[in-house]
Amino acid sequence: MNAPIIDPLQGDFPEVIEEYLEHGVIKCVAFNHRGSLLAAGCADGGCVIWDFETRGIAKEIRDSDCSAAITSVSWSKYGHRLLVSAADKSLTLWDVSTGEKIARTILQQTPLQARLNPGLSSPSLCLACPLSSAPMIVDFDIDCTTLLPVSVPEMPDVLAPPQRSKCPESNPPFSPAAACFNKCGDLVYIGNSKGEILIVDYKSVRVLALVSASGAAPVKNIVFSRNGQYLLTNSHDRTIRIYENLLPAKNVLKSLEDLGKNIDGLDGIEKMKTVGSKCLTLFREFQDSVTKMHWKAPCFSGDGEWVVGGSACKGEHKIYIWDRAGHLVKILEGPKEALIDLAWHPVHPIIVSVSLAGLVYIWAKDYTENWSAFAPDFKELEENEEYVEREDEFDLIPETEKVKVLDVNEDEEVDIDTVEKDAFSDSDTSVEELRYLPAEPIPDTNDQQDNLVESIKLIEGQISASPASEEAGQNGHHASSPQAEEMGETRGKRKRKPSEKAMELQAEKAKPLKGSGKTVRAKNRAAFDQETDDSINGGDDDDDAYY
Amino acid sequence: MPSGGNGASNGAGNAGTSGNVPMYKPYRHLKTLEGHTAAISCVKFSNDGNLLASASVDKTMILWSATNYSLIYRYEGHSSGISDLAWSSDSHYTCSASDDCTLRIWDARSPYECLKVLRGHTNFVFCVNFNPPSNLIVSGSFDETIRIWEVKTGKCVRMIKAHSMPISSVHFNRDGSLIVSGSHDGSCKIWDAKEGTCLKTLIDDKSPAVSFAKFSPNGKFILVATLDSTLKLSNYATGKFLKVYTGHTNKVFCITSAFSVTNGKYIVSGSEDNCVYLWDLQQKNILQRLEGYTDAVISVSCHPVQNEIASSGNHLDKTIRIWKQDA
Repeated sequence: MNAPIIDPLQGDFPEVIEEYLEHGVIKCVAFNHRGSLLAAGCADGGCVIWDFETRGIAKEIRDSDCSAAITSVSWSKYGHRLLVSAADKSLTLWDVSTGEKIARTILQQTPLQARLNPGLSSPSLCLACPLSSAPMIVDFDIDCTTLLPVSVPEMPDVLAPPQRSKCPESNPPFSPAAACFNKCGDLVYIGNSKGEILIVDYKSVRVLALVSASGAAPVKNIVFSRNGQYLLTNSHDRTIRIYENLLPAKNVLKSLEDLGKNIDGLDGIEKMKTVGSKCLTLFREFQDSVTKMHWKAPCFSGDGEWVVGGSACKGEHKIYIWDRAGHLVKILEGPKEALIDLAWHPVHPIIVSVSLAGLVYIWAKDYTENWSAFAPDFKELEENEEYVEREDEFDLIPETEKVKVLDVNEDEEVDIDTVEKDAFSDSDTSVEELRYLPAEPIPDTNDQQDNLVESIKLIEGQISASPASEEAGQNGHHASSPQAEEMGETRGKRKRKPSEKAMELQAEKAKPLKGSGKTVRAKNRAAFDQETDDSINGGDDDDDAYY
Repeated sequence: MPSGGNGASNGAGNAGTSGNVPMYKPYRHLKTLEGHTAAISCVKFSNDGNLLASASVDKTMILWSATNYSLIYRYEGHSSGISDLAWSSDSHYTCSASDDCTLRIWDARSPYECLKVLRGHTNFVFCVNFNPPSNLIVSGSFDETIRIWEVKTGKCVRMIKAHSMPISSVHFNRDGSLIVSGSHDGSCKIWDAKEGTCLKTLIDDKSPAVSFAKFSPNGKFILVATLDSTLKLSNYATGKFLKVYTGHTNKVFCITSAFSVTNGKYIVSGSEDNCVYLWDLQQKNILQRLEGYTDAVISVSCHPVQNEIASSGNHLDKTIRIWKQDA
């Protein structure tokens, strides 16, 4: 909606840490379809859903049976359901708006990653990738687990026998593989330990195509871009590969069958490879040739234009951003804690990264105020322009009076209520999307009103006693700050920019965060005095609560 | 063409290009609601069309049924007059902005409690609105700042030093990404709701003061009222004013206007000459003047579904009148 007035030259990827969210120790995060809600799994088995607009907690989901760390969270397409996998080998399906458990199943092994079928509006079918076993399809409705093949056997015409069972017995040791659904959810793409990508029809448990990768390194992650046009694999040979998806968006199964029929004279593996070459083509390979680092949690940006990957080195929190052509455009450096999960916002240029300490950092663009915003006729110029004055501009009595020329056709019809079709709603608009959890105001209690005055005095006292140099500057600021009145017990669990809340929070709880102050700058806002910002920015020791 | 009738229709008045514009059906007085003891600063229908809320200088807010216009509840709690009110999208909550420098969130369902008091402004709070998901509230004040509050916890999440004089109007656009603000300093600005940065300035003359600003239903246009008796519709992306509506009187009060889209597209506004004016959106001619008030008409609201308008009067009048369009 505000596309016409936002500067397009700013570049569509984040640059600095805007704030961080905290709720216990977070292990993994996932945005819903529109990025209005962020679900996160914690180390103590609970899940929390943040309202990303207000950055406040919208819902907490906790299963009394589960107290093991959550390994992955996944939203259904329209945001009604949430799939949570945990370290106690369980998979739980939750209804988001009521917060109730729909189904729960225990697998043989801990699923490292579990994804709901993206094609259905109320999916009860999901894909789970355990640590040392083949990926499997779990159907909650019929309580059935189906193992998927990870390799195509050498002998022609022999398909891996489908193993359907309520309780799968111990299977022959499969090497770990990564898997994901395609955009409409009727195919599963599996990357195996030989570096091959198998395209599997999970309903019939048949491998339909095979794509062999250059370099036979095991595939650690495989993920599609949001529009389904590009596929990304992260391999053990420290390379991220981007493939272009040649299959059409709809009726994929039929297209694959047609491709298979058109190939004569080939059978078995060769046939699959040929079909495979018509499904995916290798587009680009990314690696860091200098440090040769392993990548963690790579994914696409919402529009598929950028690829982001986290460095898997311990002790550093680096996020690499490439454009799809392969050029490295940015390296984001965060505080010195390892990165364990990464997600790009589906709509905005915002990245969310989870550190080993369990904090969720939000990276966003560093907004600078556009000077042309301050007056209606200000225009940004590319370069200096010579100003040519009017003939009578400096006349004492100008000949022509200044007439405001209305160059607008006033009779033109104005349309005030048709709305453009939403770019993010995929074809099916019959299902109502769950975009927001209703915000119910928590009633004030009478105690809160009384305590307000007391806590103001308490906190102001704390601030003046604090030894940190930058807070001396804040002290005078706080005395007149209208926000001092709002401090109460309902502090909430989020930290804000230093120019607003962080100063108060700093006094309350000194967070032992270390960070490189190099790339993180407090944003320049019109809200507060310049001198306050400067006094905070100066010095490298003031790194608390900036992230 | 300006009309002359006494509440009667002005005829089609359409010399427009399209020949199939239906004949304008006039609005007629349906009911007068009494209950406030001082000027009524704001009336608003709820988004589901079942309720009507009115806020007054007498420090109370009244909840009316929009089906039979009976009084449901009188909210008391503010220590000073109320200037504005807003409904949440699900019609469960209202928020009132008062001269006692606070905002209050009220439950529109039994037992009609005051759920939260939002403190932070240092002067009269003049205007308020919810965002479409209704998890945030924006408020503008005489302390020249815009504040954004989180509904759930009541905390102020952002304060923008927006203008150099009291702010008369704030409104979110359709997807909640922009806020438009109008002020007595003569400027109308558009802000990025997430970042709090100024994205555009629409008007920048020192006078006349901007008394009201709101987005059109599709979020593409802004209706701006200035205290020189003018209403302008502008496409804010280009910054150009496309339509100008005149004929009413608006020099002193911050009178609200509304878009009427249930049956034909009109602009509706109150006026200091004690009438409610209706203009055709495209042709800009005055379609009707609704008479009956004994003082200035300060606020108008259009029912979201039915062809009804609610309007409220100043001190000498103290009534709310409901107008219904002929079938």
